[in-house]
Amino acid sequence: MKILLSAIVISLFLCPFSLRAETDAPSARSGQAVVAERPEEQIPSPQLDSEDGDKGPDLQGDEEEDGGGADKGEAEEEEAAPEQDTRIPDPFVSVNRVVYQVNDRFYFWLLKPVAQAYGHIPEDIRVVVSNVYDNLKAPARFLNNAMQLRLRAAGTELARFVINSLAGVGGIGDAARDAFGIKKQDADFDQTLGHYGLGHGFYIVLPVFGPSSVRAAVGLVGDRLMYPLTYVRHEDLSYAAATGIAAHEMVNETSFRIGDYEAMKDAAIDPYVSMRNAFTQYRQKKVRESIKKD
Amino acid sequence: MRQHSIVFQRYLTVIYFILIFTLPGSASAEKPLETVKGYADKVLDVLRDPALKGESSKKVRKEKIREISKKMFDFNELSKRTLSNHWRKLNPEQQQEFVRLYTSLLEDAYADKILSYTNEKITFSREIMLSDRIAEVQSIVQRRTAEIPIYYRVMLKDGAWRVYDVVIEGVSLINNYRSQFREILLKDTPEALLQTLRKKVGKT
Repeated sequence: MKILLSAIVISLFLCPFSLRAETDAPSARSGQAVVAERPEEQIPSPQLDSEDGDKGPDLQGDEEEDGGGADKGEAEEEEAAPEQDTRIPDPFVSVNRVVYQVNDRFYFWLLKPVAQAYGHIPEDIRVVVSNVYDNLKAPARFLNNAMQLRLRAAGTELARFVINSLAGVGGIGDAARDAFGIKKQDADFDQTLGHYGLGHGFYIVLPVFGPSSVRAAVGLVGDRLMYPLTYVRHEDLSYAAATGIAAHEMVNETSFRIGDYEAMKDAAIDPYVSMRNAFTQYRQKKVRESIKKD
Repeated sequence: MRQHSIVFQRYLTVIYFILIFTLPGSASAEKPLETVKGYADKVLDVLRDPALKGESSKKVRKEKIREISKKMFDFNELSKRTLSNHWRKLNPEQQQEFVRLYTSLLEDAYADKILSYTNEKITFSREIMLSDRIAEVQSIVQRRTAEIPIYYRVMLKDGAWRVYDVVIEGVSLINNYRSQFREILLKDTPEALLQTLRKKVGKT
């Protein structure tokens, strides 16, 4: 109930944003990037592409990417693995690019050096810390799985939470996985919203949190409401302490992933676009999974 | 009766020859999963070779991995699929140069990542046939705190399966680059795209 209420509050809060998006977009300085996200009119539909009958699986459907080779003589090679339309509206691209730059600095100047220093702590200990934090997210995974009607996955998460909290003493070890072979069933609120047909909205780069969308931002708040520490009284856990815990979790997680962002950035022609595309593909995959399973 | 058996024998011989001549074509092509796993094992062999350990032989290692990747990947197909509809906007020379630049961009970008390999466990779980000539080989890289699914999309060409896309955690490599190249090609000429690539490749 509380979740629903907050979702409504958030959507009300974001409403003026989306209205502004409509009016601002054409006047935005880098309006071209916005245009880039719209369907390309010059692209012929796959049907027009190969007159002699496309033998490939018609999985591309109405997507703009035909994904195949394009030479006339090689029409038979135009079969393709299923591909999703991975574009997302980005009306605030200039603001987003600035926030992206800020996050980039934040990573290289603060998060990475701290995580590297922190990384001197033996890996086994950092894994234990990671397990404890992860166990705190089990209720959110359970609830999201349940909301997506993935009942088996929800049951698994419930079992994992009980086993890891008791046998794993608050999640120190992943006893459920190691001793019982019960694997984590990831699920989040952005996925739940997508599961019920809600689209991304538009792309937002959040400070510190990074790539997001209207839906994903609501998802973050939703997941936070399913996070046990949210319900600890402020007398027992001050805001400063709660922020400290979140920061520690971030540093701990980053200590396992140093080099990932650098690799992505080095490989990219335009890291901002690469990141936006990766975010969209990843979230689409999550939603696909939520529909497929159970 | 005897006539019959001769006819029958001939019949068998014909079938035998038909089998001999038709089977090798399909039988010589390994299964997609075996093929990809085979290449991955070769890369791992290079990374684990004690003779090639250390900073000094980094160049040799990189060269060996490049050799394997040339066989493992179909960079032509990968390039075409990346540019998708825009491929036709490039003339044949531009297409050739694009393949060359894009190949070395990918090699440079991922060679370092592979070379910093830290004994992560890779399991090849299964292959899914998406059509007669296209398959997805699924693997999982086991990290300490997470499992990362890496799927290879492979295509059968001239009797060999070769990789034309890598999908990491649901993120397709060619789709990701397509989104970046598209931004350039919508505003600019293919020559500008090649110029950007030349700069990028020359720098690293």
